[in-house]
Amino acid sequence: MAEFVSSGWIIMFVALFVIYFVPKNSKSLIAIAAVLLNAGVTSWIALPAIFGHAFELTLNAGSFLGNILIRIDDLSAWFILIINFTSVTGVIYGKGYMKAYDNSPFKLTLHWWLFIIFNLSMVWVCILQNGFAFLLAWEIMSLSSMLLVIFDYKNGKTLKAGMKYLGQMHISVVFLTIGFIWVYSDTGSFDFESIRSFFSTNNHVWLFLIFFAGFGLKAGFIPLRGWLPLAHPAAPSHISGVMSGVIVKLGIYGIFRIIGFLQSDYIVPGVLILFLSLITGIYGILNAAIHRDFKRILAYCTIENIGIIGIGIGIGLIGMGNGSPVMYYLGFGGALLHVLNHSLFKSLLFFSAGAVYQQTHTRNMERLGGLIKSMPQTAVLFLIWAIAIGGIPPFNGFVSEFVIYSGLIEGLKSNSLPQIILFVISLAGLSTIVGLSLLTFSKAFGTIFLDTARETLPHKPKEAGYLMLIAQYLIVLVMLSVAFYPQLYLNATREILMGVSNFEYLSLSAFSSHSAKISSINMYSILLIGLTSLLWLLRSQVLKQKSQQIDTTWNCGYLAPNSRMQYTGKSFSKPLVKIFNFLMIERKQFLDLEPGKNFSTKRKYLSACYDFIEIRFSNFFVNRMVYSANCFSFTQNGRIQSYDLYGIIFILAMFILTFFNILV
Amino acid sequence: MLSLILILIAATFFSGIIIRTKSLASGRKGPGIFQPVSDVIRLFRKGVVYSKTTSFIFRIAPTIYFASIIMAMLTIPFGQNKGIISFDGDFIFFAYVLALGKFFSIIGALDTGSSFEGMGASREALYSMFAEPAFFILMGSLALLSGHTSFYQIFAALHLGSQISYALAILATFVLLMIAMIESSRMPIDDPKTHLELTMIHEVMILDNSGFDLGLILTAGYLKFAIYGALIVNLFIGSIPLQYSVPSFFAIQFLLAVSIGLIESFMARFRMSHNPQFIVALTSVSLLIFFAVLLILEKFI
Repeated sequence: MAEFVSSGWIIMFVALFVIYFVPKNSKSLIAIAAVLLNAGVTSWIALPAIFGHAFELTLNAGSFLGNILIRIDDLSAWFILIINFTSVTGVIYGKGYMKAYDNSPFKLTLHWWLFIIFNLSMVWVCILQNGFAFLLAWEIMSLSSMLLVIFDYKNGKTLKAGMKYLGQMHISVVFLTIGFIWVYSDTGSFDFESIRSFFSTNNHVWLFLIFFAGFGLKAGFIPLRGWLPLAHPAAPSHISGVMSGVIVKLGIYGIFRIIGFLQSDYIVPGVLILFLSLITGIYGILNAAIHRDFKRILAYCTIENIGIIGIGIGIGLIGMGNGSPVMYYLGFGGALLHVLNHSLFKSLLFFSAGAVYQQTHTRNMERLGGLIKSMPQTAVLFLIWAIAIGGIPPFNGFVSEFVIYSGLIEGLKSNSLPQIILFVISLAGLSTIVGLSLLTFSKAFGTIFLDTARETLPHKPKEAGYLMLIAQYLIVLVMLSVAFYPQLYLNATREILMGVSNFEYLSLSAFSSHSAKISSINMYSILLIGLTSLLWLLRSQVLKQKSQQIDTTWNCGYLAPNSRMQYTGKSFSKPLVKIFNFLMIERKQFLDLEPGKNFSTKRKYLSACYDFIEIRFSNFFVNRMVYSANCFSFTQNGRIQSYDLYGIIFILAMFILTFFNILV
Repeated sequence: MLSLILILIAATFFSGIIIRTKSLASGRKGPGIFQPVSDVIRLFRKGVVYSKTTSFIFRIAPTIYFASIIMAMLTIPFGQNKGIISFDGDFIFFAYVLALGKFFSIIGALDTGSSFEGMGASREALYSMFAEPAFFILMGSLALLSGHTSFYQIFAALHLGSQISYALAILATFVLLMIAMIESSRMPIDDPKTHLELTMIHEVMILDNSGFDLGLILTAGYLKFAIYGALIVNLFIGSIPLQYSVPSFFAIQFLLAVSIGLIESFMARFRMSHNPQFIVALTSVSLLIFFAVLLILEKFI
């Protein structure tokens, strides 16, 4: 089995080498082959691991790192399978998407190099069980994804988004490093197992919170989510699909990993995560509802879904604290299932949005409209994920949200009053999130695909390429399997949950009765589909004999409507913005008519919505930091002599401090 | 099965009674109470007109909307009789399957490219979003009170504890009635008889539907009323034997229809900007029920 693990490196190096030398149109083929091979190999190990055959290996990495434990248990396996699937569909889609860049072979080479490294580093993040090595893999993953984001590096905005992403990822690394060093200073080992022993002797939640902050930055919890809405729109679509589908989930993976090591004190972090996730969810979807850049909508929607996953995690933790196996199972199981679901529909979402972008070259939905006629397949795919991500039956989003809802309702049986109140508030919050996502996605779908075109586009849009469609159909297939055969996935989550913590008394009977109930909803989904098709048949039979006319839309008697008069996405969400104007900052720019002037000339009107946390909090801190950093700008004077001097001062300081025994 | 039949029967006269009440209140004789049903039958016989801008979404939306209402109807129990679909957490399914129908009616309206229909769609999405928490807090509180999580079990066990629960049932009636008004776009949220497209919500969304599709949408509307009516009836008849509960079902449905008719006759609709406030206030009534449940269960120490 050890060969399998090292084969990942070999495949990578061979692929990197080959990609450099092959002609430009086969670079992507090599990348596809490499990703497929890697995915095949790791899935080969991960598949048995998910059903309890954990794979373990110790790697000697020299005197500095010591022995590194590599372990693929069921939790890692779950995430590895998600990574593999998303990467494979991503790379297939990417081949179609990157066709436009065939004239810049250097950029392509770099892009596919980074993609392969990125893919491998994500897998390694999941299997390394040593803090130091984990941080290395984590760092490679962050760096490679950052470089992938700034593919279009000549665009200032893209570069800025990349820098912001880089900065925030390093804050995350700082938190994680502090966490690992804290454990190291206490136990003398970087091994993950030492975190468990740390938690068993020290009962404080601070370490957990530090890890949560580190992983939460990656996952995008509030208020740590600043990079998401910038980096996702900036990246090429298959990269944003993989990033949003997987990278964000690795933050969740980390949180799960740490939860597995917790020994006591479950309630406080549980309540905290539940509350934070609720706010994250509502904040994310509120922002998604108002934007008109459709890739930004998707990015905010990722934040919302992280909130939903977090609600599941919170329920699970509180369940552990209360000693309720059912809550534990429903909360964590729902979270794990939603991780899978979200990675599926979020990559599908970015892929179909990418197809729209590729054909229209705009991310502003107000300029689009009527695309359902020129891109029918993309439209149907878009519709499918819109329903799935809204969490409404009959697709997979409903299954995981139903599990999380069941967890919340189970939580109502708790004996503590604050918990009951929290759960009822969460119930209301989760339903609001769903209501808002309905609004968001009916707006997005309606504005982009329905109506008639609002502007004449430079090129006439046509259906996306077959590779891009194949990747999307693959995802839809898996989505349908989750929706209509959830038993398979529920069993897998149960196996994972048996292993993830020392919560031993997860009784089989409690599980099986709940899992049967949850699986029964797929029957009702099938019933719904059957009923709809029956009605549809009836309708077409009835309408066969009736007259059918095509005419213009009824415009209340007005006879010369044009496409500019249609309702826009902005007007669709305007009432919402008005109601939540304390959370959504809308800034307008326009010139009023000057006094004494009776007739207006052609004028401009600009309005844009801004992120509340960004404007009110983040910018405040960043501005202060920049201000204080500016005081030291004299040190960066660009003279080599000064930089030499800094080096000498540093070395001297090290000598002197060691000499006086100040630095141990 | 019983609930299904009862709801179907109630749906045939519910809207008719509302219209009749309104007619009588305004001093007219009004149409017969089965007029809405014959309207729908007439529509089913008619041909259809489609707008040029529409796609298949517009054609399929009414069908899915209708199917979702049927699915929601199947979850409703009747007293001690289970609904056809009954499982733990079926009220979540109920709310979500209705949401599916709403989603399709919204995108169906957007498909016509008419700014009026877009306006209606936007309002429908917003108001139903605000109504969601009220329903979930209400059902959560009832689940807490009864210790069960499916419609059938909740309603069957609601009044086993104490008689105070009837007081709760009255509060819950108010919430459900208001949700029904919001969902079916009646007064005081929306005036179905208005003639100005700018102030419509639901009516403006279906401006372009005709023939069979319009018939489906109207039927779904009648059913929706009867479904919420049945939910309200269920709040009271938990353990009452059938020979009393079936007549009281029709009595309560009749009362509801009359009261909706009276509300619509004597009340003006709200200003559009006041609607969200009203709907959010509904959530606070739900919270009131929740705190009452906590008091009953003596969770407050």
